[in-house]
Amino acid sequence: MLSVHDVEKSFGGIKAVDGCSLKIKKSAIVGVIGPNGAGKTTLFRIISGFEKPDNGTIVFNGEDIEGVTSFAIARKGLIRTFQISKALTKLTVEENMLLAPQFQHGERIWNVWLRPKDVKRQEEENIEKAHALLEFLGLLRLKDEYAGALSGGQKKLLEIARALMADPKMLLLDEPFAGVNPTLAMKILERIKELRDNNGITVLVIEHDMPKIMQLSDHIYVLNKGKVIASGAPEEVRANEQVVEAYLGGVWGELR
Amino acid sequence: MLQLVVNGLVLGSILALAAIGLSMMYSILNFANFAHGDFLALGAYLTFVFSAILGVHLILAGAIAVVITALVAVCCDYVIWKPMRKKGAGSVTLIIISIGLALFLRNLIIFLWGPDLKRYDLPVKRGIELGSVVITQNQIVVIMVAIICMFLVHYLLKKTTIGKAMRALSDNIDLAKASGIDVDRVIRYTWAIGMALAAVGGILYGLITNINPNMGWFMLLPMFAAVILGGIGSPYGAMLGGIIIGLAQELSTAILPTEYKLAVAFVIMIAVLFVRPRGILGS
Amino acid sequence: MIEYLPYVITVLLIAAIYAIFSLGLNLEWGFTGLINFGHVAFFAIGAYTTVLLNLSGVPLLLSVIAGVALAGLCGGLLGIPTLKLREDYLAIVTIGFAEIIRFFLLNEEWLTRGPMGVHVFSRPFEELIPGDYNFFLFPFVLVVLVICYLLLEKLIKSPWGRVLKSIREDEDVPASLGKNVFSYKIQALVLGSMIAGLAGSLLAFYLQYINPRNFMPIETFYAWIAVVLGGSGNNKGTILGALILWTFFSGTRFAQGYLPFSPTQMGALRILFIGVLLIMIMMFKPEGLLGKKEELTLAR
Repeated sequence: MLSVHDVEKSFGGIKAVDGCSLKIKKSAIVGVIGPNGAGKTTLFRIISGFEKPDNGTIVFNGEDIEGVTSFAIARKGLIRTFQISKALTKLTVEENMLLAPQFQHGERIWNVWLRPKDVKRQEEENIEKAHALLEFLGLLRLKDEYAGALSGGQKKLLEIARALMADPKMLLLDEPFAGVNPTLAMKILERIKELRDNNGITVLVIEHDMPKIMQLSDHIYVLNKGKVIASGAPEEVRANEQVVEAYLGGVWGELR
Repeated sequence: MLQLVVNGLVLGSILALAAIGLSMMYSILNFANFAHGDFLALGAYLTFVFSAILGVHLILAGAIAVVITALVAVCCDYVIWKPMRKKGAGSVTLIIISIGLALFLRNLIIFLWGPDLKRYDLPVKRGIELGSVVITQNQIVVIMVAIICMFLVHYLLKKTTIGKAMRALSDNIDLAKASGIDVDRVIRYTWAIGMALAAVGGILYGLITNINPNMGWFMLLPMFAAVILGGIGSPYGAMLGGIIIGLAQELSTAILPTEYKLAVAFVIMIAVLFVRPRGILGS
Repeated sequence: MIEYLPYVITVLLIAAIYAIFSLGLNLEWGFTGLINFGHVAFFAIGAYTTVLLNLSGVPLLLSVIAGVALAGLCGGLLGIPTLKLREDYLAIVTIGFAEIIRFFLLNEEWLTRGPMGVHVFSRPFEELIPGDYNFFLFPFVLVVLVICYLLLEKLIKSPWGRVLKSIREDEDVPASLGKNVFSYKIQALVLGSMIAGLAGSLLAFYLQYINPRNFMPIETFYAWIAVVLGGSGNNKGTILGALILWTFFSGTRFAQGYLPFSPTQMGALRILFIGVLLIMIMMFKPEGLLGKKEELTLAR
């Protein structure tokens, strides 16, 4: 589904990503872990087109996408969320959701003026879909609130719901559980697995919450200083000496 | 042709001086100050008021004007910019406030001293002829003052604590804050110095031609062109950009009507945005 | 009272023309967050194109359409080098463009008759209207204003408008959801410029005689004050803002007789006041009169 090969990116002489390669199969849930500054978010920015790589190739669904602009990548079905949640605080929860569907009739000026019926019909379909998703995540009663009034965890949820509204083939989730209460986090986790099982969606997720990512992922990549230092099934990574050595103490200490 | 080069260098050194402050504020406060040109006009008018109306000697009048202009800039920081910084205002808000300030200053000048052209009370002296080229004494004064000011800026930025703090602030304001620099104080100094330079630019402009309330407005586009060409945040880029724009504007009069000087700055600016948006010396 | 009617109608007429002009800016700034400091350029392009084409024999309606189209085209062209870069580049480039257009109008006498200006050749339905033409032109402009308002409201409440608002707040989000942010910004700028062009045609019909002095840079800021005063991103507010502005202007004309200032000084005072008002609103009431505080993204 997604193959990243030897991607490099440096900022002012510092290599943020230094020859990263990942291979992600269709319908897999893959985790990316590593200490702060390992280059995880930069890698995400490169894959999603928000940053151009200095070197390397990225193939998504059979197409080269390195250097393609962000919106064009999103249109191919690769949808990302942001580490620091980017719920649009000045729009309502519902408007946030309705922004996401792609190729809406009403996104063209002429259609708005000349085909108002089609626009309206599609809008109603989208509202229905949005309400179902919001209901599932327990946000429905907040649909008319400005997203700015939501708690940090709720914003995170909204962002994931919004990404799902876009019918992605693949999701890039940047720390989806940060600040979300454990019950809800479990719910999201189940939902992601469900989407994979039923819709064949592929997921690449950055996460600091070790137990969750071990539970969620089929496969894990460990990044350090812009390089992949280990990869494999969660148990393998947990047992990998190099990883443990690099991260003695902290969360990794707890893991053992 | 050579005459145009001389004229271009004269205009260019004025633009260069004025653009330094614009560029510094652009990178430190992260917004384009559209009132910059009107501070330039303010400096020119204050000089006129002190010399032609109150009879102070021109050099002294200029010095007083520069000091007052800098003080006005610092006052504006206290009244407008600092409270807005505290609120965390975005750059778009600051830009709109700056255009409001520009309208205010320009029309204050018109209100107080009228809309028509003014001249400094200068003795008319014959220019120095070098072959086919005529250089007036005032033009020489302009270039010399500009060079001296540029050296002063260079010294200030490289050797003094405040200058180093300015550069640190313009490189990375968060890092500068973290390292314990008193950001507000440095910003006040930057306003004072930047606007003082603009005022000098305005006064020098008055030496070579008439002054009018709209002079700042007409200088605004060439100044922005200079800043963008040189690279936002680079004082040396602004100097270089100013001289290039000044030369280009004057040389263009060989083939275009003089009214289109402004269009030359505009075209250069657009070209820079297409080809190298970070400018010649920008990072 | 009745003897004041023509005066009142004229003030309302001008306010309505400027309301249309300002609605264009509100689309750009209020809804999309684009800073256009050269809005007057499109006003001028609309007015001059309409009058000059009509003068050379093109039917009036076609001339107006051409003026609107040319204004839109110029807006789009200015967007191309700037809208992918930082937000202030558009402001700088538009401010320069407006000045260049004005110099062009002043200097290219073969086309524009320079400072002499151009007389308006014909006005809509002029031959059918007996008496004071403004009594017809005002309702006519009012209808155009209402149509513009309704079309814009429809757009703003559509998915298209939603994308604009999302760009205004944080363009990374629409980009991450597959929206071509650059294209939307261009669309907003083109449409806003077209509306300004239309307002320009109407202004020409009102003035009957246009010259470059009608298109001084300050005109742009009349639109800004209308938008910001009424509430950025609120079309009703913009119309209210334009009305307040022109009521204020006509008020100052009356005040003229009681103040010891020359007409030039009065003019300067007016603009000085506009500058102060702009600063005050942005500092203390950025949501304007009718804007919603919760939706305030532009003036945080």
